[in-house]
Amino acid sequence: MLKISNLHASVEDKVIIKGLDLEVNPGEVHAIMGPNGAGKSTLGYVLSGRDGYEVTDGNVTLNDADLLELEVEERARAGLFLAFQYPVEIPGVSNMEFMKESVNAMREQRGEEPLTAAEFLKKAKAACKQVQLPLDFLKRGVNEGFSGGEKKRNEIMQMILLEPSLCILDESDSGLDIDALQVVADGVNSQRDGKRSFIVVTHYQRLLDYIKPDFVHILADGKIVKSGDASLALEVEKGGYAFLGKAYEETEA
Amino acid sequence: MSQWLNQVIEQAKQVDDYLAPVRQQALQTLVNDGWPGRRDEAWRFTPLTAVTDRESQLAGAQKAAQAPDVEGLNAIDLVFANGQLVTDLSDITWPEGVSVSTLAEAGEHEAAVASVFGQVKPARHLFGLVNDALCQQGIFIDVAENANVETPIRIVNLATENVDAHTRVLVRLGESSRATIIEHGTGDTQSLTTAFAEYDIASSAHLEHYRFVMFTGEATQLGGSHFKLHDKSELNSTFVGYGSQLSRVDVDIHHAGEFADAKMNAIYLLAEGELFDLHSTIEHAMPNGTTEENARGVIGDRARAVFNGRIHIHRDAQKTLAELNNRNLLLSRRALINTKPELEIYADDVKCAHGATVAEIDESALYYLLTRGVTRSKALVMLNFGFIQELVNQMPNAALREWLLPVLSERFARMEVK
Repeated sequence: MLKISNLHASVEDKVIIKGLDLEVNPGEVHAIMGPNGAGKSTLGYVLSGRDGYEVTDGNVTLNDADLLELEVEERARAGLFLAFQYPVEIPGVSNMEFMKESVNAMREQRGEEPLTAAEFLKKAKAACKQVQLPLDFLKRGVNEGFSGGEKKRNEIMQMILLEPSLCILDESDSGLDIDALQVVADGVNSQRDGKRSFIVVTHYQRLLDYIKPDFVHILADGKIVKSGDASLALEVEKGGYAFLGKAYEETEA
Repeated sequence: MSQWLNQVIEQAKQVDDYLAPVRQQALQTLVNDGWPGRRDEAWRFTPLTAVTDRESQLAGAQKAAQAPDVEGLNAIDLVFANGQLVTDLSDITWPEGVSVSTLAEAGEHEAAVASVFGQVKPARHLFGLVNDALCQQGIFIDVAENANVETPIRIVNLATENVDAHTRVLVRLGESSRATIIEHGTGDTQSLTTAFAEYDIASSAHLEHYRFVMFTGEATQLGGSHFKLHDKSELNSTFVGYGSQLSRVDVDIHHAGEFADAKMNAIYLLAEGELFDLHSTIEHAMPNGTTEENARGVIGDRARAVFNGRIHIHRDAQKTLAELNNRNLLLSRRALINTKPELEIYADDVKCAHGATVAEIDESALYYLLTRGVTRSKALVMLNFGFIQELVNQMPNAALREWLLPVLSERFARMEVK
């Protein structure tokens, strides 16, 4: 599904990703953990094609398409979804209008007819309910005045509606209390159908109690330095990133 | 000097009626002050070249004309065509508590008309003075105490001939009354319209006001809406401006009583080589008043916008809450905004804020929409229009909202983003 080889990327001439390799097969859940500044969020931005994140070497394919050749919106239409750590507030653009446009863009890509307003509303209401957001959130400006937890749940709602093939969750657990975390995790788990793949980027092991990963990778200084199964996350939880060397211990303290 | 102004002064000398005291004062000021130079602060970014050497001419008799249709508005329409009132007031069934007369035939209302004419609008506006001196086409609307007028009254200015049109709207809202007044101007051919309105809002009265300044192309529009707020009165006003070769609106909101509340939103959407200039002045002369002003503009192509927003808090106006915000979005490198928020505060116990921003497209918001598969062109429309839509959605009248949104989005869609 997703194949990243020897990826190098920089932001404002600062090299952040320094030779990253990762292969994600259909249905798999990969967790990426790592200390601050390791390049975790950068990876999501690079894969989604954000301006200013320059790929200097390596290649990435998604379902055999050369991802790096695609525009941001084409990557989304190719099945890539990024749930943001800090979703942006866009007052004046209603969630509903935005999601309808977005869902129909995906349908067009798949050669399906656009949903009518009524059909969309039905789906949107169901998704809204699933992540336990009040229905009036659909009418509000995109993320406008939402709490941190509501923004995260809104991201998951979008994921449910857009039905992507690869979801990257960028610290979807940060700033959430245990109930909100459960809602987010349930939302994600409901989308695991054996075909859809996930990259769960997180700082803490806690989220992985709820979303069971098949693989855990430790990202440090722009590279994956260690990979393993779910037990690796527990190891990190106990011992921190000390095994990476002194420098990381301090940043985590 | 200006040929046009000289001709206007000559025309004004012929006008003689019950409003003579105000007219003569205005005429005198025009004669003394003459035509503004380039250094005149009020016209610094707004050249008057379209008017300076214009041939001043008034329209002859006009036929009845059709006001722009707004579905579901169900307003009483009073239509001026090229400056001449073409609606027969006697054909109209007025809502209870409303009495209306023309400026020229005010009859028993003469004293009431004189109590508003030139009394709300400050004397510093050049074209307001022209209107004072010369305007014989006007409407006086008197709303009785406690009247709750649900039917909106719309005053329409249509410019279709190359003449000067001078129209006046005078409104007196009695104590605890409520009314909705819409000023709606349109025209795209060579023409000059001065349209001024004065609103005297008595204690505890509530005015819902709209001014749609939809002159485009070669039309020249110079106008103003001016409000005097007495104790506990409320004003909710929305301005929508297009640009034309020269379009200027002056707004004054004068808190003459305590605990008055003013909310003013303004939207301007400019394309091609259009110019739109909005000058607003809020005078807080009395304590405990509140003002919230939001002006937002999208400027594309080679268009130019001018915004000047002044809040003046007098020494006695303690406990004033006033906010002024101006946000602009430039869609092209050649688009221009000159914005100047001004706060002048002489009272010490007040809360005031002002701000102006000029932005290009918000890249992080654009990126967010793109990551959800929305096309770039659609995302740009959603983002830029969202900025405007927010203010449209605050308009209390649903029929106006539903009419305006598609009208503005269509105008927006024709603007080029680059």
